[in-house]
Amino acid sequence: MDIRFSGVSKVFYPDITALEDVYLEIPKGEFVYLVGPTGSGKTTLLRCITREVAPTRGQITVGSFSLRKISRVDLSIFRRDIGIIFQDFCLLPHLNVFENVAFVLEVLGAPSREVKERTGEILDQVNLWRRRFLYPPQLSGGEQQRVAVARAIVNSPSVLLADEPTGNLDLHTAEEIMQLIMSINALGTTVIMATHNQYLVDAFRQRVIGIRSGRVVRDEKRGRYNLDGEL
Amino acid sequence: MGSFKYALRDGTRLIIRHWGLAFLTVVTSMAVFYLIGASVLLVLNARHIVNFLEGELSVQAYLAPGADFEIAARQAATLTHVKEVRIITREMALERLKQRMPDRAESVTILGENPLPESLEIAVDRADSIESVVTALAAIPLIDDIVYAGGLAEKWARFSRFAGKFSLAILLVAITASAVVLFNTIRIAVYSKEEEIGIMLMVGATPTFVAMPFVLQGVILGGIGSFGASIFLALSYSGIITRLKEMVPFLPLLEQHAVVLELGLILVGAGATVSLIASLVAVETFTRRAMKPL
Repeated sequence: MDIRFSGVSKVFYPDITALEDVYLEIPKGEFVYLVGPTGSGKTTLLRCITREVAPTRGQITVGSFSLRKISRVDLSIFRRDIGIIFQDFCLLPHLNVFENVAFVLEVLGAPSREVKERTGEILDQVNLWRRRFLYPPQLSGGEQQRVAVARAIVNSPSVLLADEPTGNLDLHTAEEIMQLIMSINALGTTVIMATHNQYLVDAFRQRVIGIRSGRVVRDEKRGRYNLDGEL
Repeated sequence: MGSFKYALRDGTRLIIRHWGLAFLTVVTSMAVFYLIGASVLLVLNARHIVNFLEGELSVQAYLAPGADFEIAARQAATLTHVKEVRIITREMALERLKQRMPDRAESVTILGENPLPESLEIAVDRADSIESVVTALAAIPLIDDIVYAGGLAEKWARFSRFAGKFSLAILLVAITASAVVLFNTIRIAVYSKEEEIGIMLMVGATPTFVAMPFVLQGVILGGIGSFGASIFLALSYSGIITRLKEMVPFLPLLEQHAVVLELGLILVGAGATVSLIASLVAVETFTRRAMKPL
């Protein structure tokens, strides 16, 4: 799904400008890093795509969906094609690894056989099949994030949004997660990843969009995290 | 089918997770629906008694000496609320007396002449119209005296009307109370799963899918409450009827089991419907807010 931002601004009450006049084109299958200091507007931009945040001005289109006016039923249908990875994992502590991943397919009304098969495949892919009966508090940070990745991709979304997915992880684990996300992107999924991790951005070079004070200040095809002290 | 299985499993989980609250909700809705059922039975019985008494209603009008009872009967028949006018001749009156009090009838005719007067027996359509019929009869000059025993029926009719209004008020208060209790129970359950619902909505679950377990939880609790109320109502009504029959044997009460069974089914249906609406409102309010963008 292509993603297009046309003059998008977001002002939170009373007058906090989170995004200002953002124009972006992200074609299907692209990998994009969103970089910028804390509070620059990266998360707001991601939340605009999931329509948790509605722009004050401007237009966002994702595939055939125009997000300005979308019904609740259409929003549900639209969100089925978006996978989200949060920095703090957002796993349900009373469900085990298998149930946390299967939960997505269940709420989408998939038949139980398909739920079992598909969840098994994904857990195998993220190397967590043997730990499927453990609960989130029994897992390491890296394992929890791998569960979050598995949950985000189990229904094969067209777009994967990752909000600082390696923020709580050591470098080695962060690399593992990064390789996993890259492999998902290689299968044609558009990935937009907000990150502060300079090493990963520089090691796995992709398109980099720099944001500061809600404005897009840099957009490079194969960029680096920080070029000559600038974003 | 998969969705329903999920809703059933999750709805049951919710009840087990909040078992204390679920128990209180069932007890409250049981009490509320028992109250509704009891007041409906009270009204049905009051109406039954009024109908019975109305079937027995008649006014006895005694004619003035020398009055033509045919003319008096025609005049009485023209009055509103008069169902039937029968002429009771002296011979018919004596015959009735003999039937009612066989041992005293002879003492009445001991002088050789029948002293009983001619009269009109006037049947009235409804208990509450008896007063107006008596007033109209008193205005007919051919009629000398009026005797009627409709006071009791009249009082019952008034009581029946009062009971009808009272039970309607109880019904409204009770249903509102039941809906509020169920609404709050479901709302607590919804808030306890706030995070889970948030994730469900983010991964594309429809609001209907999210609502299903909660609605099912509400319908199960409301249904159990109203079913329990129906069982208690049937048992207690049967006990009360037996005792009343011993104490006031002449009082005509509703004894058909079909009435209680029908009322029970209506109560269970009402319980399920009220809880369905209350749960839907509780979840819908939450999901609407959760899906509203910032």
